[in-house]
Order: sequence, then C-alpha cells, then structure tokens
Amino acid sequence: MGLFLDIVSWVLLLSGSFFAVVGALGVIRMPDLFTRLHAAGVTDTMGAGLILVGLMFQGGMSLVTVKLFMVLGFLWFSSPVSTYALSRATLASGQEPFWSEDMEIPDTARIPGMVYPVDATAEGD
Amino acid sequence: MELFINFTLLALLAVTALGVLHVTNLFAAVMLAGIYSFLSAGLFTVMDAVDVAFTEAAVGAGISTVLMLATLALVGSKVTTPEFRIESISVKGRSRRPLLPIVVVVFTGGILAYGTLDMPGYGDPDNPVHQHVAPHYLEESGHEIGIPNVVTSVLASYRGYDTMGETTVVFTAAVGVMILLSALRRRDSYGEEAWGDEVIDDMDVGFKDAFGETMDPGLAGPEREGPEGGGG
Amino acid sequence: MFIVATIAVVVAMTFAMVRALLGPTVYDRVLAVNMFGTKTVLLIAVLGFLTGRPDFLDLALLYALINFIGTLAVLKFFEYGDLGRRVDSEGEA
Repeated sequence: MGLFLDIVSWVLLLSGSFFAVVGALGVIRMPDLFTRLHAAGVTDTMGAGLILVGLMFQGGMSLVTVKLFMVLGFLWFSSPVSTYALSRATLASGQEPFWSEDMEIPDTARIPGMVYPVDATAEGD
Repeated sequence: MELFINFTLLALLAVTALGVLHVTNLFAAVMLAGIYSFLSAGLFTVMDAVDVAFTEAAVGAGISTVLMLATLALVGSKVTTPEFRIESISVKGRSRRPLLPIVVVVFTGGILAYGTLDMPGYGDPDNPVHQHVAPHYLEESGHEIGIPNVVTSVLASYRGYDTMGETTVVFTAAVGVMILLSALRRRDSYGEEAWGDEVIDDMDVGFKDAFGETMDPGLAGPEREGPEGGGG
Repeated sequence: MFIVATIAVVVAMTFAMVRALLGPTVYDRVLAVNMFGTKTVLLIAVLGFLTGRPDFLDLALLYALINFIGTLAVLKFFEYGDLGRRVDSEGEA
C-alpha cells in the first residue's frame, strides 16, 4: 500500500511539475497579454492541482491533507476570478487583443461600447 | 538541496532589486517590490521563521503594495528625469569621475564581510546568544505559562509588549488604507479630474465618513445625501 | 520526488520574474506577480514535505488569500485610478 501511494504521488508530482514548467514557459513566449493569461491559468489549475493532490497522497489521513485540500480549493476558486478581473481591467484601459481579420463574433459575445476591427473593416468596404 | 533553494531565492532577490532600480514606470516598480516581498517571505520560511514570514506576507505583499498604488493613483506614475547629471567632478582644477565613493563603499563592505567570518555558525546551539534567556524560556515556559508551544508563550507572554507594538503598526496601516480608499471612491463619484481643492475636500469627506466628524468644522464639503451616496 | 517538484516550481518562479521584468505593459507585470504568488504557495507546500515538517501549510493558505486580495486591489486601482479614468474621459467606454 505504501508503494502504491508512492507511485501515485510520483506520477502526480511529475505531471504537475511538467504543467507548471510548460505554463511558465508559455508566459514568456506568448505574444499577447490574453494568451499569457491562458498560460498562467494552466499553471494555476493543472500545475497546482496535480502537485497538491500528489502531496495529499503523501500526507495520509491527517490534518495536513485537510489543509492541502483547503489551499487547493481556494486556489481553484480565486484564480479564475483574478484572471477575469485582469482581462476586464486590460480591456477597460483600451488595450485590445490580437484579433484575426475575418472573425464571426456573435451578438451575445460582444462587449457593449467596444469597437471590433472586424466591424471596422466590414464597414470600410 | 537547501543550498540550491537558498542560492536560487537569493539570486532572484538580487535580480528583483536591480529590476526595481532599472524600470522607469513606478507602477512596475511597485509590482517588483511585491515580488521582492514574496521572495523574502519564502527565504524566511526556508529559515524556519514562520511567524516572520506571516508578517512579511501580510504587510509587504498585501498592504504595502496596495498603499503604494493608492499613492501612485493620486500622484501619477511617471518618474521625473533629473534636470542635471553628474558627469564629472572638478577637484583641484582637474575633472575626474567620482571613483572615491565606490572605492570607500566596496572597501567597507569587504571589511564587514571579513568580520562575519569570525561569527559562530548559524543555528549552533552552543552560540553565546543562546545561553542567556533562551534556556530560561525553554525550561520554565511549561510550568510558568502552561501553553505547549514555546513560540506562542514567548510572543504572547514573555515579549507581549513587542507583539502589542506590531499589532498597532498593522492596525495603523489598515486604517490608512481605509481612509485612502474612501477618499478615492468619493472622487470617482464626482467624475471630475481637478486636483488640489477637490482632493482636500474629498479627503475631508472620507475622514468624516470614517470617523463621523470632520477635521475642521469650518471646511464645508460638497452637499451629499448620505455617507453611502457614492458607491461606483 | 519532492526535489523534482521543488526544482520545477523554482523554474516557474524564475520565468514569472522574467515576465515581470520584461512585460511591456503594466498588466503583464500584474499577471507575473499573481503567478509568482501562487508559485510561492506551491513552493511552501512542497518545501514543507521536503524538510519533513508539513506544518507550514497555514502560511501557504495565508499567501493564497493575500495574493488574491492584493491582485484585486491593484486592479481596482487601475480601473478607478489614473489609467482607467483618463481613457474614460476621452470618450471611450
């Protein structure tokens, strides 16, 4: 049983480390703020999640596992809120993401009051 | 492994400090100071000082960053370039670069680093500093105070006044942030960009909102319907 | 296994710091600080297991809270402070 728990912890910790490093590398190499947000989100969900679950298997049935679970729950709840607030603040300051030229933006996804380059090029024709 | 972690954290600390000096946008400098605080809290954790790391996280990365950003939001975030630059100093008719200060600084730093070679090892139980009150705390805390955790009994009972001072500092920081935040909320509800008198009136209104009385009874603020009339 | 996780988390912290130093806009730096805070939480959790004393998890929980509140406070100042309002007064929504 101990060996099985160790193998499971190894697998979870290694995959969590892989996601953390890949996400952090993405934060450096991605071209735009919004794509970097996605890369940072990978480290917060998969990286932190797999590492903390792997540590939970090492902690056994004790208070340590409960604390790890609370840390993980709080990280998973607060990280999307931070991502949303950051993207909203960036859009409110006027910085636009890299749009492609011929996107189809449905009406439910439009932000009121924002000018999309697709509309501008369509009206210019 | 400990050496690797300590080395990496200290190297990142040095890089962050150099980065704070290098960037010209003040908002970026405040962000880097937040990273500096996280790093030093990590170093305190590696050195087993958890309560110090608690305080560093709460004060440095939380309150200090927010307070500095409140200041920048009121003042402006561009670093003003100095009007002149010291290219050279004329000494006795000859102009040369200021080499003397850096020589003095490096020499003093070298002497201090040489002096630390004589200090006892870190955490050694035979240190002279561990022979005075530490044995008394460790031996007498059980039946004098009765709490199982010696750190708690030292913080709360033997050194209670220090803890009271720290709590006062953190409370003052929290009150300062509250006053600044209430002033900014009032300014946003007016929708104007005028500085000067507006800011003083708003700060006075914020003070009134927080404490129920104005600083100067003769200074009449703008007419509002109630303390929660704003709320963007 | 904890050594591998520690090295990975420290590498992620280094990359976050590179983004904080490089980032052309301020929001890149806010993102880097937020990511640095969550990596610090992970580092404390893994270091606790590496040294055999997992009692530091209260500290990790506190860091997660402080990081979250700090990021939201920073973004609130950016939206209602100097940068956001100047854009609003020029007529953009």
